[in-house]
Order: sequence, then structure tokens, then C-alpha cells
Amino acid sequence: MAGILAPGLTRTLRSLSPLAGQLLEKALGNLRWSRRTLYVQMASPKEVKASIANVEPNLAVEMSEQEVLEEKLENVKAVLQAYRFTGLSGKLTSRGVCVCINTAFEGNLLDSYFVDLVIQKPLRIHHHSVPVFIPLEEIAAKYLQTNIQHFLFSLCEYLNAYSGRKYQADRLQSDFAALLTGPLQRNPLCNLLSFTYKLDPGGQSFPFCARLLYKDLTATLPTDVTVTYQGVDALSTSWEEQRASHETLFCMKPLHQVFASFARKGEKLDMSLVS
Amino acid sequence: MSLATKSFQAIHQFNSEGWKSSKDLKSQLGHLESELSFLSTLTGINIRNYSKQTEDLTGTEMTEKSIRKVLQRHRLSGNCHMVTFQLEFQILEIQNKERLSSAVTDLNIIMEPTECSELSEFVSRAEERKDLFMFFRSLHFFVEWFEYRKRTFKHFKEKYPDAVHLSEGPSSPSIVIRSASQPGFELVIVWRIQIDEDGKVFPKLDLLTKVPQRGRVPGCSCFRCLLNMPSKAAYFLWVSQGKNQKLEISLMYFSIKF
Repeated sequence: MAGILAPGLTRTLRSLSPLAGQLLEKALGNLRWSRRTLYVQMASPKEVKASIANVEPNLAVEMSEQEVLEEKLENVKAVLQAYRFTGLSGKLTSRGVCVCINTAFEGNLLDSYFVDLVIQKPLRIHHHSVPVFIPLEEIAAKYLQTNIQHFLFSLCEYLNAYSGRKYQADRLQSDFAALLTGPLQRNPLCNLLSFTYKLDPGGQSFPFCARLLYKDLTATLPTDVTVTYQGVDALSTSWEEQRASHETLFCMKPLHQVFASFARKGEKLDMSLVS
Repeated sequence: MSLATKSFQAIHQFNSEGWKSSKDLKSQLGHLESELSFLSTLTGINIRNYSKQTEDLTGTEMTEKSIRKVLQRHRLSGNCHMVTFQLEFQILEIQNKERLSSAVTDLNIIMEPTECSELSEFVSRAEERKDLFMFFRSLHFFVEWFEYRKRTFKHFKEKYPDAVHLSEGPSSPSIVIRSASQPGFELVIVWRIQIDEDGKVFPKLDLLTKVPQRGRVPGCSCFRCLLNMPSKAAYFLWVSQGKNQKLEISLMYFSIKF
């Protein structure tokens, strides 16, 4: 056995009393792992090099087992982290799973919500951070017991749409306050918005009144848009044209983008945006 | 003796630590792998590979204003049932005193199979909008409909093997209903799965009939009545609710009569 060990180690063993040496050898005998650690611990660098060269083939294989495991572990950890990019990820809990739903709008990463599920028959929601105005109970009643994937992705739809509507309203308030002539009125679900605005803030014209209703809670564009012009020459063609084109624009593009185009073009609205 | 004991203890400790860390690793790996498999089953999305690179874009000017800018490059690949995907995207994170904002600044998607034309249009739209989550959401619903269509057509094919034909194999978007005894009579049901501007997935059904002029086929008009599809919307409704009874009854009648 001594022949297999590194020269340095053999010397060390021989320097001990025969009994101690024997005890050590016995302890080392069955622990092949320990041989490697012994090489590394006790042998000097020069000897390590030599000992690795003398090592048995199966020892060489075992040397990288730990490394293989560590690499596998890092890979699995990374893939688990990557799930948040699907918008849906989760962590196992003692009761079941805590699902995390991420939301985004046009590439902007927004709020996250969680749903803590208890894996029992029947499946139930332990607690969650979904806002009260999202129809969670309705969606759960429809899908939770029969098709959990559908439940989760359906909830994703609602939450992403809500996040998107909220983002648009927030951007309107923060970036285009100059064009608004009054406060933006909005409900918590952000599916009913009401505001007044002017294309030329300092000008003499009357403001437009817009009312946006998003009947489809899984959509980020409104289903019903009404724009009215309360001015004295309300019946003039140019105001009517503008009013009508604004209505179309609000239906087709996100709110803050419509206002961005207002700000860019000033008074004249680019008719090409309407087509 | 004391030196031996010390050495022995040192070795033993190191050994047991060595063994512990290997066992520990194995059990940790096992636990995480089962968590991964659970997540894959829960979402229906199977991620196989992921890597990321981070680049700090904070300039000296930004550091003075306590602004930090980081660009992350991500690459992930995997599959959702029969669809495999490979994504490369960039996320720009800007941290200032008030908040942290993250945005997807670039998105590239490669998907297979490439024959699904409905999917390729959808992919370009997702890339344009840089909407990572919409991509996965719509992918999930698309695959759900795809599998449902496959199962439904398979069911009819197995039940009425002589009358029903799948023109393009098991994943065919349409079925052809023919009768051996009445060669002129043909019914084609086309069931497309479409993805609209917002990433909403919905089925679109079309019914094409080829019926001999003379009407010599006795139960022909009766068959049409049975199918009784006044509008595509009605058709879509009962297929989407899983109610295939009408089609089932019609096909049964068809196979008996012809």
C-alpha cells in the first residue's frame, strides 16, 4: 500500500511510531477519497505533481466527480433562475409551490405577483399578492382544478394587461402633464380613463375630452373610445377631423405613444399615423 | 502517539468533510433537479440551457450622479411540447437614486418547426415588441390548441377510418371527409390556429363542401342540415367548448348512410 502513496506521505508515515503508522494506513485504506485530499494536504507542490502522475486510473476519475457535480449544480441553479424570463416561475414550498408571475409592457419589466398554491385535493390558493380587482376567484373557479397551466397563463394574461394599462396611464401623467388640462381620472383596474387635453397648451382652442374604456381585461388597448370637443366651433370640419382621428389613434396605439406623437407634431397631426 | 492522533483526526475530519460535501452536493442536486422537473410540468415549458453575460456600462459621470447602468446578455433554449425555441435577448438595467428600471432592449427568437407559417409571423411581432412574456404566453396557448386539434382529429380518424382522411399527416390543420360509395361528395374542415396582434390565440374554422350537382345522393341535404353551421362563429364556439357532438353525430350518420 505504501507504494501507492506519494513519497512524501510514505516518509511521514515512516516517521511515526509503527502503531500510529498502521492505524493511519488502515484508516486510509478504504477511503479512496482521502488519498486525494491527503496528496493535496500533506504533499508539497512538487510532490503533488508527481503523485498525480503516479495515480491509479480510477483515482483520476474520482478526482473530477466533485467538479462534475458542482458544474451540474451550477447549471441546474441557472436554469431555475432562467424561468423568470418566461414570465412564470416558482419555488417549491412545504405545502406545494409558490408561483411568481412577472409582468412587462413592450419590453419594460414591471411588477411581479405571487400565488402560493397548496398541493392537495382540491388544489387551493393559500395566499397571494394579486390585486383585489383582478378576477382571481373567477379564473380559479374555471381552471384551477382541471387545468393548472391554463389557470396560470390566464392569470398571466390578466396581470400583464393590467400592468400594461397602468404603465400607459402612469407614463401619460408623468411625461405629458403639459398637454393635460386637468387631472387624469382613472379607476384602480385602469380600464376606465378620462382626461382632457389640448394639442397647443398655451393656445386659444378648447380642450378635447377623452374617455377610454377597456372592456377586455386581457387587452392593453381600449375597446371603446369617445373623444369630444366642447369648443365654440365644434361643428367646423377641421375640429371634427381631428376629433375623429384622435378617436382612431387611441384605439390603435398605446396611450403614451399617441401623446408622444401629439407632442412631436405640435398642432398638425400627421395623417399618416391614422392610416 | 499525540502526533499520530492529531494527524489521524485531521485526516478523518478532512475525509468526513470531503464525503459530506460530495453527498451534500448529490442530494442538493437531486432536490433542485426535481424542482426543475416540477416547474417544467407546471408551466409546460422545458428550459434546457441558459447562460448569461453581464457588462457594466456605468461611466464615471454616472457614478458621480449615483446612476448605475448594466447590460445583461441572456441566451436560453428549450422546448414547449413539439416546438423548440432558442432565445437571445438583452436587458438593460438602470439604477438611479429613486428606482431600478429594467427593459428588454433586444430580442431574437429561433423556433422550430419552421413550417408553421402562423408561428413565424407571431415570432417577428414578438421580436419587434421585445415582448418576452407574450412570446411564452402565446406559445403555451398555441401549443394547447395544437395538441387539442391533433387529439380531436385523431379521435375522428380512429372512429371513422374509412370516411376521415388527414391530408397532411397527424398534425394536419384540416381533415377531409369522403365516402367510398359516393365519390363525388367531399367535406373539408379546415381548422387554423391564429395569433392576433396582441398575442391572443384563437381557432379559425372553415368548412368547404363539394357536393355533386344532381343531388342524387339521398341523405346529402340531410347531412348538411345535421351539420347545420349557419356561421363560422357558431362553429368556433362549439369546437372551442369541446363540444364536438354535432360533428360526431354527422360523421356517424355519414358513415352509416354511405
